[in-house]
Amino acid sequence: MASTKVSRAFKDISLSFMPHPITKDLPVLVNERAIARSVRNLVETIPTERFFNPFLGSDVRDTLFDFCDYGTASIIANQIEETIINYEPRVGNLNVVVLPRPDDNTFEVTIAFDIVGQDLPPQNISFILEVTR
Amino acid sequence: MPLTKFTDLDFDQIKASIKSYLRANSNFTDFDFEGSNFAVLIDTLAYNTYITAFNSNMVVNESFIDSATLRENVVSLARNIGYVPRSRKSAQAQISFNIQYTGTSPTVTLSKGLVCVGAVDNSSVVFSIPEDITTTSSLIGADVNGNGPRRASFSNIDVYEGTLLARSFQVNGSIDQRFILDNPGIDTSSIRVTVRGPQETVGREYRQIENIINVTSLSEIYLIQEVTDERYELLFGDGIFGKKLENESVIEVSYIVCDGSRGNGSRVFSFAGSVENSTGITFLPTNTVTITTNQSATNGSDIEPIESVKYYAPRLYSSQYRAVTSKDYEAIVQRIYPDTESVSVVGGEELDPPEFGTVVLSIKPKNGTFLSDFTKAQILSDLKQYSVAGVNQRIEDLKLLYIELYSNVFYNASQVSDAKQLKSDVISSLNTYSDSIDLNTFGGRFKYSKAVKIIDDTNTAITSNITRVVIRRDLKALVNQYTQYEICYGNKFHVVSEGYNIKSTGFTVEGSSDLLYFTDVPNADMQSGAIAIVKESDSGPVVIVPAAGTIDYVKGEIIINTVNITSTVKENQIIEIQAVPESNDVIGLKDLYLQLDISNSTINMARDTITSGEQISGVGFPVASSYTNGQLSRK
Repeated sequence: MASTKVSRAFKDISLSFMPHPITKDLPVLVNERAIARSVRNLVETIPTERFFNPFLGSDVRDTLFDFCDYGTASIIANQIEETIINYEPRVGNLNVVVLPRPDDNTFEVTIAFDIVGQDLPPQNISFILEVTR
Repeated sequence: MPLTKFTDLDFDQIKASIKSYLRANSNFTDFDFEGSNFAVLIDTLAYNTYITAFNSNMVVNESFIDSATLRENVVSLARNIGYVPRSRKSAQAQISFNIQYTGTSPTVTLSKGLVCVGAVDNSSVVFSIPEDITTTSSLIGADVNGNGPRRASFSNIDVYEGTLLARSFQVNGSIDQRFILDNPGIDTSSIRVTVRGPQETVGREYRQIENIINVTSLSEIYLIQEVTDERYELLFGDGIFGKKLENESVIEVSYIVCDGSRGNGSRVFSFAGSVENSTGITFLPTNTVTITTNQSATNGSDIEPIESVKYYAPRLYSSQYRAVTSKDYEAIVQRIYPDTESVSVVGGEELDPPEFGTVVLSIKPKNGTFLSDFTKAQILSDLKQYSVAGVNQRIEDLKLLYIELYSNVFYNASQVSDAKQLKSDVISSLNTYSDSIDLNTFGGRFKYSKAVKIIDDTNTAITSNITRVVIRRDLKALVNQYTQYEICYGNKFHVVSEGYNIKSTGFTVEGSSDLLYFTDVPNADMQSGAIAIVKESDSGPVVIVPAAGTIDYVKGEIIINTVNITSTVKENQIIEIQAVPESNDVIGLKDLYLQLDISNSTINMARDTITSGEQISGVGFPVASSYTNGQLSRK
């Protein structure tokens, strides 16, 4: 007897809400894009921002008030790593690298990870955090 | 799958419900992960649902007096059934003092407002009067050029704790105009309202009413109602019920803002008032004004709490301001005298002998045991307006029926290091029970099994307890007077044929210097017996008066024949008389007020050597008796 197997793809909605030009459907984020978005959301969420879940998120925004040096970069790396480990179970082999760029007053963040349970290549997300002081 | 659970009120439950709906009805999968965009949307949805559910729940709850929690809503709902919650009440004291001055003025007026300052717990409280008081003065020395020294006596003046304030409104004819007194903490009984019409120079006093019975279109009346933040609004007539206010009229309101129960107990006062002569000129007394306290400050009470409003509003509504049934009395007495903790009402026909046309009330005040004669007279006077014509009320002093426990508490010594601490924990648990509603009410019942369980549950180290119950009443002896006494316990006594069922503390009677005690000798039927007065001697008890009275074991009643008691061992001419109740559950019958007397109870801590493993066979276990001892007297 044939059985129907549902794909374990990760599928999330895009908050841009821009309709697809042809189908007019809402845009969908799948697999690595969904997870990358999730990781970014977690890093950008300030603790206490979510209703009834005060610990979700990271303190990166607070730390961006500090000096743009290796010490602060190390703190940010730890905060991002801790947040992802706690709230994003779909990633493994996590490696967070934060480099200070004092001349630009920014930190360059590179997050490398594998997606658990999916046959997908290792993922890399890079973004720039601007110091707020 | 449709959304079927509409009863979830918790945020997490709502969220789980939305997720389970999406799991069955969409292709999306990431809503389980908190970082996903979908989780943000679900959180927003769930939060919205949660707030809506909370608001709906709150609105419905606040619509019914039973479930409302906000004071203004409870008060508003009570208002619908004609109930005005009690305001704060100023403590009231009665004082007298003399004013001396030189001058010709034949009268002296004590101006309304501040009169004196009292002290409670090392802090000052001010006392005021709501209206001017004028008295005549008399010469106390030689009158030189008509300026003789004079003295004016102010006797038995009622002063009220708090500050007298005034407020005026000008009527503008608008139907939206409201007359709200801005201060919280007003004693509404102190409100005085005068209304001055546009063509008048002197205001006319309006009177406060509680209902519109006998109110005509010309009645100069006003009603009060509590509004937000414990403030009060004045409501005037509309030309049908009560006189309508004319446009441009001026309303002058004076009232006392007080501290409620905080003013109670003040007994020493210093004068701080202002006096005027007959021409209205303020002057200073030539003497140091010393205030004599006739009655220390009492009867101050706080604003009626929400729970009380919820309880009494429906009851007062059902009584319709008529004191007919005992429940009516309960609601009305509570309203007249807010310090009431419990009320017992017994119709005269139930008394022995019957007193038709009389209602006997016993009132337990919140702080204390007895009402002063002053308070009793005040309550009876206020009750008159509610009572049925031809029915007289009488307030009797509280009859306290004390319950004493003799408890042997067994504990496992391996689980507890300090038996003294354990004992104090047991006493603390029993004290909590003694404050419960089971006991502190007329018609209360001491529940033996509950008390025994409370002892057991105090600590896991307590393995068992053997507790005996004794009931006691205090006989207030009229020293050096030939008097007959009757003491009712309202509970059947346990009788043993040998006697000594009744034990008392010591006393002396006329003609004998020996310390004597009451005891009993049962008749053959074991339903009644004789009371004997005996003394202790080395060879055993010696009967001094063999037939000093009778005892009815079934009714729980002791009658002592005429005797002249000259002194008692206990202070305040008290003879404590105890008995063992037939049932361990003790009832507060009629006007008896139950009180668990922990201070006179005995708690013995005993090691449970079997449970702790010190004794395996049980040999040497400290066995405690479940029965009373055979001693003659109460120790």
